[in-house]
Amino acid sequence: MLTAFDDTAHRYRGRVYSFARYLLSNREEAEDVTQEVLLRLWRHQDGVEEERLGAWLLRVTRNACYDLLRRRRSDATQPGMAASLDDEVARELTSAEPDPQAQAEAADFRRRLLGALDDLGEPYKSIIILREVQGLTHREIGEALGIPEVTVRVHLHRGRKKLREQLREANP
Amino acid sequence: MNRMEDDLTCDDVLDFVEPYVDGDLEPAEAARLRVHLESCRACAAELALARRIQAELRALPQLDCPPEIVERVRREGAQGAQILPFRSPVRRGTGLPFRGARLGAAAALLALALGGGALFLRSQQQPKQPSAAEVARATQQARYALAYLGRVSRQASLDVRDDVLARRVVLPAAQSVSHSIGISLGEAPEKPVPARGDRAQ
Repeated sequence: MLTAFDDTAHRYRGRVYSFARYLLSNREEAEDVTQEVLLRLWRHQDGVEEERLGAWLLRVTRNACYDLLRRRRSDATQPGMAASLDDEVARELTSAEPDPQAQAEAADFRRRLLGALDDLGEPYKSIIILREVQGLTHREIGEALGIPEVTVRVHLHRGRKKLREQLREANP
Repeated sequence: MNRMEDDLTCDDVLDFVEPYVDGDLEPAEAARLRVHLESCRACAAELALARRIQAELRALPQLDCPPEIVERVRREGAQGAQILPFRSPVRRGTGLPFRGARLGAAAALLALALGGGALFLRSQQQPKQPSAAEVARATQQARYALAYLGRVSRQASLDVRDDVLARRVVLPAAQSVSHSIGISLGEAPEKPVPARGDRAQ
């Protein structure tokens, strides 16, 4: 029999993991964060209102990821993270391009995009992941990050502009 | 018929591209932008790049975690497992599912060894004082527990150094035991072990 926790955890685990996965570009770290967030959910499951649960989980996820990223900054020996993310993403995607050359070009563009996203600072990175990858509304993102909707829009535009500038410079 | 003039610079347009793609521009602003884009190939290329970036981001898959994570959390949560400060990466495949459980087992073993050593010395103390060999055996048990704790700690990626453990865990415990039974084992500990800081939410 599914408990309320099981139901909530299964409903949100993908969103939590995927957010952490793209934010950290590292599978094991994302699994650790997911585990920690779900443990916090277990402890606080009676203290969070149902309608605020999604925002609460994303905020806890982002905080856990920030902690890890801060710790990672002091360790300059971390290997290229975007490469492992690119591999996992590539396995999930089936290319619609029939032409092998076009497939290779699309894969190269995606690899550079993931690299640029990995290099993007906060809060742009979180907002782009939540909006463009996870499809949350501006209001949902604002609730999760504790910022007004209009600020979400401004950061989203600036973040994507930064990606565009980086991709343009990489391939002028 | 009034034809709208291109009164935007390329720099202006580069700031408006993303809001335009999202449909966040006022209709009049969007119309001015379109006039510029009709005659500027460079800005039209920027718009195409912006659209491609958004399309590629939206095509990225939702990545899912192993479902057993939920089961593990539910099981450990039901058993009242302590949520440890966040550490990563976890070394996997070491048998016990949580670092807390592994460390707990090691700590229990250490306590058992120290307690056993103390009881042994105490039982031997009743009729007579323990011999040096008995004290050495009790100390050996504590060292065995220390070695095990060190190994488990390394497996859990915790950078707990044996010498720190020796000075701050085993020696204070051994001092306490020996003090209670009136045997001198070595120097006193420097100070109590500070608790590791828990991560604030």
